[in-house]
Amino acid sequence: MEFEEYVSARGQELVRLGFTVSGDYQRAEDLAQIALMQAFRAWRKVRTADDPHNYVRRILINAYLSMTRRRSFTEAPTAELDAERTVPDPATDIVNSDDLWRSLARLSARERVVLVLRYYQDLDDHTIADLLGIKPSSVRATASRALATLRRTRQSHRVDERLS
Amino acid sequence: MSNTDLEDDLRATLDRAAASVPPVTDLTERATTGARQAQRRTWIASGAAAVAVAAIAIVGVNVAGRDAPSQSPVAAGTASATPSAKVQSQVSPQSVAGTWRPVEMDGLKTLKAARPEDPVLVLLPDGTWNGSDGCNGLQGTYTIGQRGEFTATVGPQRMVGCENVPHTGVLKTAKRVALDADTLRFFATDGRQLASYARAR
Repeated sequence: MEFEEYVSARGQELVRLGFTVSGDYQRAEDLAQIALMQAFRAWRKVRTADDPHNYVRRILINAYLSMTRRRSFTEAPTAELDAERTVPDPATDIVNSDDLWRSLARLSARERVVLVLRYYQDLDDHTIADLLGIKPSSVRATASRALATLRRTRQSHRVDERLS
Repeated sequence: MSNTDLEDDLRATLDRAAASVPPVTDLTERATTGARQAQRRTWIASGAAAVAVAAIAIVGVNVAGRDAPSQSPVAAGTASATPSAKVQSQVSPQSVAGTWRPVEMDGLKTLKAARPEDPVLVLLPDGTWNGSDGCNGLQGTYTIGQRGEFTATVGPQRMVGCENVPHTGVLKTAKRVALDADTLRFFATDGRQLASYARAR
């Protein structure tokens, strides 16, 4: 498979994966571009891998986790925003309409990645463990902790809604 | 709320979020252009680093050369200790190729004695050498490393006795060679100069 063929077949999937883990459209594009750039530079190796898409997906996830470890990841807000010049973010709708999506944003980067790989990418725990370089038991523990956090957050939201 | 309900909701939320991502059309171009630019930056950085290293080396050699006491001609037969790091020119089989006459040799006082043959050392760019100790033909091979590391082998030779010029002893003992204009110097492991040769005109 040529690089161009891979990108046209799977490029958009990578942007979507980037969006589900990062929750930020611009960052999703950046992550997809980083993953594809690295894959392009090592394409001879990538194309002969058992699953080239898994290889590129791993690059993207590692790029995201590295990104979240940087201090600059949490960007400082600007003093003033020019409302007329802001670009509509496709995440806005889902953020406003889905409390579960909002709760996902409060999880740690690793927890969020595990849930995305498990429930959006439908990967089994062994594959996730291999992709993240951790043990399957750690994947299960992380997923369990993340789900418990989401459940608690959801219950407290519902209580708040009933009270208001 | 059961875990299954939460998992189902999570799947639906993530699918909805993914579906909200607008299509990106120029991913291939951005990835290939970005990779090429990154590669170019790497090459430029590597080139700049190489230039910087070369500049530091040149400055270092110049400073070392300025700080070192000027070397006066040494009487034949006296050993002169010259720092082995004082390599002035890039030394390679190509740069040292030619015919060399011994100027001084550690411990040899009879360099100027009359001999049946001219006691020259001929280094060839293919890594072989030949010459004469004044009475016998000599031959062998040699190698020069990137930093002037030197090794040599000596082939079979006749053993006619005379005031033999010990090229073979110099070559076998030498661990480093340095070329300074038309002067070739051989050094021992401890940096001691074993011999110096002048290029034959």
